[in-house]
Amino acid sequence: MPTATQPILTHANVEGRIVGLLARKDKEAVKLIFDYYGNALMNVIQRIVQDRAMSEEVLQQVLVKVWTNAKTYSPDKAGLYSWLVAISRNAALDKRKTRDFREGETSRSAVQIVALENRANDENSLEKLMARQLLEQLPHKYRVLIDMSFFEGYSHQEIAEKLELPLGTIKTRIRSALKHLRSLV
Amino acid sequence: MDIREYIESGILEEYVAGELTEEQMLEVEKMSDKHPEIKRELNELQEALNVYAKAAEKKGHRSILDEALLEIKEGEEEHFIAKLNEDQEVVIKRVNVIPVWSIAASILLVISLGFNYLFYSEFKKTKDQLAILEQNNVVLAEKTSNIEQELAYAELKVAHFLNEDNVHVRMDGLEISPESYANVFWNKKSNAVFISVDNLPTPPHGHQYQLWAIKEGQAPIDAGIFDYSQLVQELKVITGDVKAFAVTLEKEGGSPVATVDKTYVKGFI
Repeated sequence: MPTATQPILTHANVEGRIVGLLARKDKEAVKLIFDYYGNALMNVIQRIVQDRAMSEEVLQQVLVKVWTNAKTYSPDKAGLYSWLVAISRNAALDKRKTRDFREGETSRSAVQIVALENRANDENSLEKLMARQLLEQLPHKYRVLIDMSFFEGYSHQEIAEKLELPLGTIKTRIRSALKHLRSLV
Repeated sequence: MDIREYIESGILEEYVAGELTEEQMLEVEKMSDKHPEIKRELNELQEALNVYAKAAEKKGHRSILDEALLEIKEGEEEHFIAKLNEDQEVVIKRVNVIPVWSIAASILLVISLGFNYLFYSEFKKTKDQLAILEQNNVVLAEKTSNIEQELAYAELKVAHFLNEDNVHVRMDGLEISPESYANVFWNKKSNAVFISVDNLPTPPHGHQYQLWAIKEGQAPIDAGIFDYSQLVQELKVITGDVKAFAVTLEKEGGSPVATVDKTYVKGFI
């Protein structure tokens, strides 16, 4: 379904582009990071913060930090993704130390994770149709695993505990889920 | 390590999911830098997840990016203002190195030079104008003087014409200068002779006109040499029975005997 992927960055060398833009102090870099790595970073942050709204706040801070610390990034020392993940983890850990995190902890529940999908969608209908087809073709058990592992911040260990399955099985299934997904896109 | 095996191990999925430690992530990146196959695999994983995120509407709120960009912009503005203030301090320090009075003096010097130039130009212009005016004045004065003199002569001439005691003799031009003429006034009471040089040619260098009184049976009597440039002038006293007056051209200083063939004008009483 290549047409459905059009607005999504598929350029294999997007990392190189972002690095170049950062070096030139071009804010387009921040936009590309959000578009390409936003979900992955959100996932990393949620693992630590375990609250969607707070994680969004942290992601916003991460984008600002990426911009202000752009000079400290050295492509020779680390890949862009691991650098972004490091910043995100630090920001998320900082958030855990704040008062509003500790106060919100008791009221946190799994409900939030389900609620976040209800977002306004103003895409055209063809894209919607293709999106629906993609989701329909992806078995539910795979969707759950992909959601938990890549979007909701669950570690493999946590997923294993939650689904009451061995860790090894979870790892294998996640891999299978992604293989299936890649066969669809 | 077998690349295929490495990919199959699931470590790349763990990498993307943020499951790995920082050290483990760096290891994966090292592998991916070394093996294009691993890099491609990673890219495809990330892209598939992005496609899925879009389809499942998992994508983070656009407002996260917008807010972040706004914060970046505000930060930059603050930084800019802070930098501006810093720069201003530096400027003040620099100014202190050069004493304020020297700047003021420099400015005054420049202004003064400007005025000097301006005033000098004005002065020079005025001076030139004055020279022209002075010259005009001289010309005008000369003219006035000439006119005054002419007026005085005219008045004098008129006075001689009007004087009832005067005998008026008009002398007309002879063959030598037919256009010429002059007038003689002879006062019967004082016997004084006046000549009015009305129209005589300019005498050649070293020569002068001389008036003669002519009596019957006598050689012409010298009535005096006169200045060509003076319109009316009093000459000698002549008595007796004068029949005519005539003007001859003589050598400078006059002649005791009239050079009759150089008679310019002549008139009978």
